[in-house]
Amino acid sequence: MILVALLLAPLLASGLTALLRGRRAMEAIHLVSAAAMFALSIQLAAQVLREGGVSWGDGFLHADYFSALVALLNAFVYLVSAPYAVGYFRRDAADNAFEQNGEGPPAEKKLLQYYALAPLFGFSMFLVVFANNLGVMWVAVEGTTLASIFLVTFYGRPTSLEAAWKYAMIGSVGLSMALFGTILTYYSAHQALGVETLSGLNWSTLVHSAAQFDKNVMRLAFILVLLGYGTKAGLAPMHTWKPDAYGEAPVPAAVLMAAAMLNCAIYALARFYVLTLRCLGPDFPSQLLILFGMLSMAVAVPFILVQRSYRRLLAYSSIDHAGIMVLGLGFGGALGALGMLLHMTFHSVTKPLLFFCAGNAQQHLGTDSLRKNSGGLIHSLPVSAPMFLLATLAVTGTPPFSLFQSEFTILRAGFAGRHTVPAILFVVFLVAIFCGFFFHVAQLVLGPANGLPRGEDSRWKSYPVLALAFVVIVLGFWLPAPLFALVEGAARVFEVQL
Amino acid sequence: MSEQAIALLVQLGLLLLLAPFITGFSKTCKARLQTRRGPGLLQSYRDLHKLLRKGMVIPDTASWIFPATPYVLFVTTLLAGLMIPTVSAQAPLSWAGGVLAVVYLLALGRFFLALAGLDAGSSFGGLGSSREMTIAAIAEPALMLAVFTVALGAGSTNLSTVAEFALGQSWRFLAPSQMLAFAALFIVLIAETGRIPVDNPATHLELTMIHEAMILEYSGPYLALIEWSASIKQLVLMTLLVNVFFPFGLSTDWSALPLASSFALFVVKLLLLAGVVVLVETTNAKLRLFRVPELLAVAFVLSALALISMFIF
Amino acid sequence: MFFWQDPQFGDKMITLMAALILVLQIMMVAQHWLVTIIRVFAVQSFLLACIAATIAYFNNAPHIYAAAALTLLLKAIILPVVLTRLLVKVDIRREVEPFINMPISIIISGMLTLMAYVVAESFQRPDELAGPASLGHNTLAVAISLFLIGFFMMTNRRKALTQVLALLSLENGIFLAAISLTYGMPLVVEIGIFFDLLIAILVLAILVYRIRATFDSTDVSRLSRLRG
Repeated sequence: MILVALLLAPLLASGLTALLRGRRAMEAIHLVSAAAMFALSIQLAAQVLREGGVSWGDGFLHADYFSALVALLNAFVYLVSAPYAVGYFRRDAADNAFEQNGEGPPAEKKLLQYYALAPLFGFSMFLVVFANNLGVMWVAVEGTTLASIFLVTFYGRPTSLEAAWKYAMIGSVGLSMALFGTILTYYSAHQALGVETLSGLNWSTLVHSAAQFDKNVMRLAFILVLLGYGTKAGLAPMHTWKPDAYGEAPVPAAVLMAAAMLNCAIYALARFYVLTLRCLGPDFPSQLLILFGMLSMAVAVPFILVQRSYRRLLAYSSIDHAGIMVLGLGFGGALGALGMLLHMTFHSVTKPLLFFCAGNAQQHLGTDSLRKNSGGLIHSLPVSAPMFLLATLAVTGTPPFSLFQSEFTILRAGFAGRHTVPAILFVVFLVAIFCGFFFHVAQLVLGPANGLPRGEDSRWKSYPVLALAFVVIVLGFWLPAPLFALVEGAARVFEVQL
Repeated sequence: MSEQAIALLVQLGLLLLLAPFITGFSKTCKARLQTRRGPGLLQSYRDLHKLLRKGMVIPDTASWIFPATPYVLFVTTLLAGLMIPTVSAQAPLSWAGGVLAVVYLLALGRFFLALAGLDAGSSFGGLGSSREMTIAAIAEPALMLAVFTVALGAGSTNLSTVAEFALGQSWRFLAPSQMLAFAALFIVLIAETGRIPVDNPATHLELTMIHEAMILEYSGPYLALIEWSASIKQLVLMTLLVNVFFPFGLSTDWSALPLASSFALFVVKLLLLAGVVVLVETTNAKLRLFRVPELLAVAFVLSALALISMFIF
Repeated sequence: MFFWQDPQFGDKMITLMAALILVLQIMMVAQHWLVTIIRVFAVQSFLLACIAATIAYFNNAPHIYAAAALTLLLKAIILPVVLTRLLVKVDIRREVEPFINMPISIIISGMLTLMAYVVAESFQRPDELAGPASLGHNTLAVAISLFLIGFFMMTNRRKALTQVLALLSLENGIFLAAISLTYGMPLVVEIGIFFDLLIAILVLAILVYRIRATFDSTDVSRLSRLRG
């Protein structure tokens, strides 16, 4: 029942928003629905911790530890992006940022576009984690893509259209490959189970008999699924849409894409990984995952070092983190999956902070270029700028922040699984990314004052930054026991029964 | 006289006499479709008769190739025609060669024609020759692959064997490999006989000519021989298409009665095919020269697919 | 029984239709006029629906009939109409020369078909008896080749609308693969997929219209301002 409630809440919010069009009403609905979704997902997590799993509709919707964790993280990201969106769009409306060459739609229409699409995006992302049927999961992932395309074209600039087209095309091709992989999985299960009903594609049914699947077909299926959902996650070499899309979308939408949609893509990939693990053993899938993880990190390094825009910098950081998560999955063993899940958790908390600070900086400076600014942002943005620096340290895995712990866990998993060369390369890439990232942000933030007026104009934009910064710092030292129990339960999903 | 000699003479007569009729029929059909009256079914014969009696003008700069080409073309086309089953599954010269021989004989004729176009010393001749060779370069592999597909099914490249094999199978043409090969051969037919959309046989503009440009300098009996050879080549290719894919009613030997019915059916099938070609001609515009390789590439891929589909399906 | 109730006849018909689908896909690669590409796609989808309906007839499976009806309605009727209207609005009729020129791309499509055949070989089920249950299993090679050729077209063509049509033919290939391997997915999944497809095409159509309005052309090689 709670699963249905979590799915209905964003739909209701979207419908209500479309009906009542006043700005105040839309903002209020957005905030209330975000809070409601977060509360419901906490309740779901508690229920899953108590009972081990929640089902609805004869197994059509199913939430185990992994689903509950990802749902909680996504709801959290949605919650913190809500007040930020309010402030961000108010500032945009005041700046006439919706206009091009002096003409454009009224602010209300643009706001309607965001406040109506974002809950639909929320609905899709919840459906991804709750759908038991792999085909419905695919439909939901495609739903997140479709909901976010118009969020990327939000400002209507030529570059927005270019970014949206690339995103749409690459995303569609990737998802087609994932669909093909899903069909092949169904086929290999079909041969083993001979079941042709709806439950034939249910993950909870498939996972128990995965060892009997046709091995050749599962190999091909996993490759296709990795390519497909990897495109959504932004793994190299299918990552080319990410910098454009993250750079052009408004910051609240970019946050949803960078944290929530990334989680959904990794979630879908992980579900297929477990099936392949049970069928083929750990060697084949982990080789592929390590390859793509390494490739993503390797591609991110030069683009971070030589970067001209701080919005695109964040996108490459996202590509890098997707690579780290996939690497953790690939390293395998008891620590690998745990590391990946911890990383997902901490990343979902840290990334929004980074995006919010960058968004504040962009709205203040008017541009996202790193070259044209002479630094000294700390004097004009006394809240966002220092937090930007803090977030940079956090996201690149500096101790004592939480991401350091998850990356260290993944490193240990790498050495435990005797993947020495990838583990060493992992450290090298992390260091390189830290150098580049920190250099750029420090140059932007530190330095003498250069005469810009003070820019912390909105409480809606500053309070989420401060609250998130608080959470990030606290999480570095203390992980709440229930949350850790949830993470541990999720890691048990990845165990290979020997 | 032995059966062999009779067969030879009958097929020779058929090729020589039926070819201009098919050309005349095509022209009349096209005219009727364009709501004109057309030149009449026997006009080609009258044209050949007229040309054979006219005097010739030969360029000073021409070498021995110029007078040799009409004869070479005529002989090679006739030889190729004698290796294909027309009214009987046993072609008179089928012991001498099969598919490969037919293709190579036609290619030999085309080679000499191209040389003759260059030989006359006018730039239009060279233009025609180079265009003809471009088209042939892609059309020939398509032709070969398509015919190999059929030959593969029959287990031999001897066309008589292929026709006899096809006679024994009913509804065989529904198989994908056969349909694809037929489609590929149809496109090659259009390309090799110089019809719209590849080449306009009735054009007067030298810059749009392909086949006509090569024979621009010919006149009199030489021109008659070349025109006749072109008609015979068209008949040969059409016969290939018709008798290999739809060999209904083909008689298996050279006895009189089955021969008569086979001849009637053969003429009917030829006229039907000519009608389809004319329909394609009338409903399409001539392609720009640079687009012709695309059309032929489609034919090539279709014939390759025909070969592959023998193994897939 | 009548000859149309014989599974052998059904097999022959399905094989013929699959070959025609392959030929249509190659023709799509060779087209210059966008209207023709849309029409070729419509015919291809119609044949796909026919194949699904034939399999459903011989196996008495109502859910495959539903999938066939959905394909017919959505891909053979609604989508071509939507795309033709978009074409009129956008006022782009012809395709410009693709990145790899036409004859070579046609030959590359032929090679991709060969590759698809090789991949489909590994799915062979030699111990299968001929009968209603094995109908359509030999169309997997065609399905994979549709997928590969559609993918190739997407990367090779310059007009946005052609890329959309290439994507659609790619999806046709996936549908055919699903029919060939498992007689389709569970109906709920099929409906979800079709619904997604419809929304995706509407979204893409809006994008194409906006691209035309902004750039005054739908040539995607002009969308190259974002770098690094």
